[in-house]
Amino acid sequence: MAAFSKAYLAGLLAVLTGAAVLAGCGTDSTSSGGGGGAQTIQIWEGYTAAEAKAFSHLVSEYEAQHPGQKVSPLFVNNDNTLQKVLTAVRGGSPPDIAYLYGSWAPNVAQIPQVANLTQVVQRPGVNWNDFWTGERAVATVNGKVIGIPAVVDNLAVVYNKTLFAKAGLQPPGPDWTWQEFMADAKKLTNPAIKQFGTAYVTPGTEDTVWHWEPLLWEAGGQLLTPDNKKAAFDSAAGLASLNTLRTMAVTDKSMYLDPSDSTYSNLFNSGKIGMLVTGPWDLSAFPNVKYGVQVMPAYPGTTGGHQTISGPDNWVIFNNSPARVAAAEQFLLWLTAPAQVKYWAVQTGNLPSRQSVGDSAAVTQQMNAALPGVGAFIANLANVKQARPQISQYPKISTILGNMVVSVLLGKSQPQAALTAAAQQVDQALAAG
Amino acid sequence: MRRGVVSSEQFTGWAFVTPAAVIIGLFGAAPIVWSLVMSFQENNLLSPSTPFVGTANYRKLAHDPVVAQAIQHTLVYTVLFVPGTMAVGLFLAVAMNRKIRFISLYRTAAYATIAISTISEAIVFLWLFDPSYGVVNYFLSWFGVPPQQFLNSPSQALYVIVIMTIWGWTGFSVVIYLAALQGVPQQLTEAAAIDGAGPWQAFRRVTLPLLSPATLFLAVWLTINALQLFDEVYLSTQGGPLNATTVLVYYLYTQAFQQFNFGYASAIAYFLFVVIIVITVIQFRVGRRFTYYRS
Amino acid sequence: MTATSAPARGGVRSPAGGAVRGARRRWRLPFSPWHLVLIPATIVLIFPFVWLVITSVQTPAEALHFPPVLIPHQIRLANYPDALNSAPFGRFFVNSAIVAVVTVLSNLVLCSLAGYAFARFRFLGRTALFAVIMATLMVPFQVTMIPQFIITKWLGVHVLAAVGINHIGALILPNAATAFGIFFLRQFFRTLPLEYEESARVDGASRLTVLIRIVLPLATPALATLAALTFLDSWNNFLWPLIAITSTNQMTLPLGLATFQGAHQTEWTLLMAANVMSLIPMLCIFFLAQRHFIRSVAATGLAGT
Repeated sequence: MAAFSKAYLAGLLAVLTGAAVLAGCGTDSTSSGGGGGAQTIQIWEGYTAAEAKAFSHLVSEYEAQHPGQKVSPLFVNNDNTLQKVLTAVRGGSPPDIAYLYGSWAPNVAQIPQVANLTQVVQRPGVNWNDFWTGERAVATVNGKVIGIPAVVDNLAVVYNKTLFAKAGLQPPGPDWTWQEFMADAKKLTNPAIKQFGTAYVTPGTEDTVWHWEPLLWEAGGQLLTPDNKKAAFDSAAGLASLNTLRTMAVTDKSMYLDPSDSTYSNLFNSGKIGMLVTGPWDLSAFPNVKYGVQVMPAYPGTTGGHQTISGPDNWVIFNNSPARVAAAEQFLLWLTAPAQVKYWAVQTGNLPSRQSVGDSAAVTQQMNAALPGVGAFIANLANVKQARPQISQYPKISTILGNMVVSVLLGKSQPQAALTAAAQQVDQALAAG
Repeated sequence: MRRGVVSSEQFTGWAFVTPAAVIIGLFGAAPIVWSLVMSFQENNLLSPSTPFVGTANYRKLAHDPVVAQAIQHTLVYTVLFVPGTMAVGLFLAVAMNRKIRFISLYRTAAYATIAISTISEAIVFLWLFDPSYGVVNYFLSWFGVPPQQFLNSPSQALYVIVIMTIWGWTGFSVVIYLAALQGVPQQLTEAAAIDGAGPWQAFRRVTLPLLSPATLFLAVWLTINALQLFDEVYLSTQGGPLNATTVLVYYLYTQAFQQFNFGYASAIAYFLFVVIIVITVIQFRVGRRFTYYRS
Repeated sequence: MTATSAPARGGVRSPAGGAVRGARRRWRLPFSPWHLVLIPATIVLIFPFVWLVITSVQTPAEALHFPPVLIPHQIRLANYPDALNSAPFGRFFVNSAIVAVVTVLSNLVLCSLAGYAFARFRFLGRTALFAVIMATLMVPFQVTMIPQFIITKWLGVHVLAAVGINHIGALILPNAATAFGIFFLRQFFRTLPLEYEESARVDGASRLTVLIRIVLPLATPALATLAALTFLDSWNNFLWPLIAITSTNQMTLPLGLATFQGAHQTEWTLLMAANVMSLIPMLCIFFLAQRHFIRSVAATGLAGT
């Protein structure tokens, strides 16, 4: 290779740097508002596939209906949003709206730039109570409303009809119990063909924890005392719930343990798993099986019933300037109005975030036609009676509980010992404040 | 005359390094100093108030059982990963340092392993090592070995990560050693052969010493990276099961962005920084005795 | 390793001593025995890549299987245009290309200068500066990204808009010179025999001329390697662009690939198709660069075979 001519390289560098600068200049730095009267707001969301298309459509519709308002979406995978938001906030450039997981709400509420929406949601026509109880609970921290519900879901049991028929089992009924679930799981397990009755995700994160919490509630238990100062799950209910998991994972070996978060759904779709406790978002991942949806089982003799858990997420507004906050509020209130909620639910298969839309038989019918089984999830929203504790120490507690559940599932500790140890750690974490 | 040469060398020396030094100083050194300051604060990244708490974060670090576990896992991982990657890389580089047919394809295959995204790597390894459906258990069953739990087992998960990352970094090792092998003149190895040395002796006496600068480079670089392992853990086991694959950087990430303890995370980062410096200095010192530079 | 092992089996050793090219025809095997090592090794190395390509041509339903289907029943090449159309990938590609090419060229120039200085010159503060540069490698990005964001924002506002937040200049500048490049080239330059440089200096050449005319041509394998690795690092960089870019038309390819990964569902077939398309430029760069990994005999001035 010929000797490098520094001039040649420098020239090339200059040309390309020039191109970079020009490309850079070509961007309008995002939301500046002003100039020509167009108000632009920036919204960070993690929508893909059908959701992305539906959201695009809604944005165009909003801009057409509201001349002078521009909405500039930016895709950020939901798992990465917190890092990006926190960095942006520290650096003084938060977005106008961001999609944030509900479990972050108690901590997000501490960010001073987060807009207080308590008065906003009381405006006439908003109908705050039309949102499901679980959603409103997660959007409110210490009486302050910090977000508008973006999505609602819940956990129910999705089962493989074909496998049930092959095993000669009756499909789950609305009054079924955990005993029946365990028995079905055992019958559906066949090591020879590597078939499992059920599955559980074991990364030890909140995903692991929130699949266990409904069992605790169904057994009549509570996570924390009402004042959120001490652990309350080291009880008969806690023991019952962990024993259920242990029987399936360790004794019967009817439970496939998934350390990732995606293998279990592919396995179900390949007909290798009989039943899953999962949410409506997974239904579109099962094109190859005939599935049915049923409420979660109950523990007979307790007050828990067929309770389930919900994981709502929030649209959060950040204060960049009063004009932009106002524009953001206007957009979000429009986005979460019944007409748009209905459009969103029907197009994407997400559960309607408003009760008025969810109670409509026509909507349920339409959604079931596109995505069988989703109607059962909508109905199951009535089984959401409580939410996870809305306290800023919840992440710490989540880690402790995650380890507790995983250690029982892996057979590394006995349920009672795990409960006691975890309760002690949770008490310490809560006391440390 | 001499003084003129010395001062011009000072000047040229600084002139040559300044552009790079400015960039690295601004974007590398300044943030590091900033982070050091943050490690003495209580900072949850949420509210702007970040009060100084002195050495509280460091004292917390000293008593945190998870930090002790993370240190152990990080060191075990590094001790296995670094020599493993270098050995495999050296072997393959030597194999690829010849002009046989398809050699470009073989080399590109090695490079492809570093080009592939970590998420694809994680998915494939999660599959290969699946306790029920994975190929590795299938192969082991041929030898009568019962199915292993691998990533579901607190005692095995870290080793699976070692294998996964050795796979992922082999290409890097190969590429570095290939470049270095070009500095081994054939005359020397041929002379050794003529002197009656067998191929292994020629390799050990001639090639390896001439490769020692590359070996030192790889040892230092791979160690620095191994001690900061994060991506593969984040994408496969999330530090589990039961903290079995929690390494220091993963732990500090969870502290910063899940537990909102950013000051504490900075302190962990600084602790790791000191560990890395100490190990790197030791490597350079040891390296000085074993590295042979032809100048 | 030379091939002195094989000729011992019965071939006549060529006078130049076991160079593979000449001896091949005298061996019993019709091909080099190294293929027997390289082929299985390559299979192990590219296996995930094979899975990636297969997934990229599957139907979405078939991609939702576990264990993954390796012999699809249906091939769906439409995944590729579908992936390209689901986001402005043309723009992402251009952004990534500009960032990568400028970063590589800048590194080649700046790291050569600095690496050479650290390798050959003695100047006050040399060791300390090298230590500081190496130290920047030792703190994880998760901790430095917030200060780096703030610094970048400040630069964009007070110095040059094109290197501020949400410009691709902000992706180039922090990596315009890397500690990796400096360290790597320093090691490599130190392996070169001093004679050439010294004789050129005696002839009155300036240090810069020595670097450009004598050292760099000898360092072609190292420069090609550095180019390939820097390109790869830049092309695949995800976390800093995630933090620094706030509008879609400034996104780079890795951010574009993330648009297929939703919170609960990932569009695997489109993601893998996009991954394949993203890998192709990297592999091409490498394929071109690796020809220079073998230094041409003429350039070294060594009497060869």
